[in-house]
Amino acid sequence: MIPTASMSDIAFLLIIFFMLTTSFSPERTSVELPESIVRTEVTDQASIIAIKEDGTIMFTSGEEPAYELTGPNELAQVTEDIVRLVESKEFVIKADRNVPYQMVDSVLDALRSNGARNIGLLTRPEPKTSAAVQ
Amino acid sequence: MSDIAFLLIVFFMLTAVFTSTQGLRFKYPEDDPTNTNIQPEEAVHIRINGEGQFVVDKVGMSMEELGGYIKSKMEQNADKPVIVQTMPQVPYFAMIDVFDLLKQLDVQNVSIPTKTEIERWKQFGVF
Repeated sequence: MIPTASMSDIAFLLIIFFMLTTSFSPERTSVELPESIVRTEVTDQASIIAIKEDGTIMFTSGEEPAYELTGPNELAQVTEDIVRLVESKEFVIKADRNVPYQMVDSVLDALRSNGARNIGLLTRPEPKTSAAVQ
Repeated sequence: MSDIAFLLIVFFMLTAVFTSTQGLRFKYPEDDPTNTNIQPEEAVHIRINGEGQFVVDKVGMSMEELGGYIKSKMEQNADKPVIVQTMPQVPYFAMIDVFDLLKQLDVQNVSIPTKTEIERWKQFGVF
């Protein structure tokens, strides 16, 4: 006989634990991130710009769910609005590892020419160690 | 009821694991019009032509050679600026690889100009 009453006590305790520790990120676009060895933590309240492999740009200011942008021009506009409110706002670029660099470049351009100073590039941990640096 | 409970546990466990919140960050310097202490001709200029194909200060190099070159430059002058220019068709990860290498070598002064900035620099004869 399995003691179901005490087991469901433990189960609910675990549920509460995971509910509290899970922070739902508003940006849930699935992209294959590039790898890097050096990685620093990105702040929670950052705006996230996701660039998918097909070139679509998804954007969230960190509060509302991510929505699709028409292109870098619209990004320039929203960046301007955000920077006017919070000057030190962090912007995180979550780009697919295989997108041509010009996509990332136009996003960086839209961010920087509109006053974004704090920019991060999202990566995932490197599976193998680099040969260039010991 | 404990079935439902365990189902919920599994759900929260899976959603908790798959959120990546780490990456490389670069902070741009504050606008300071009085700061004229910029000597662009002394910067190391890396141009990424493709995966593992670099032209560094007009010399073609591989990833290993680039690491050694940057390391020796940093030993001479730790504040030396490094400019990374990436060609439009190069995949994004090739640029991240270089950026990661520079961060590993503890290069403080990495500059990644965008295309409008490169145009502006060209007007001043930097490139």
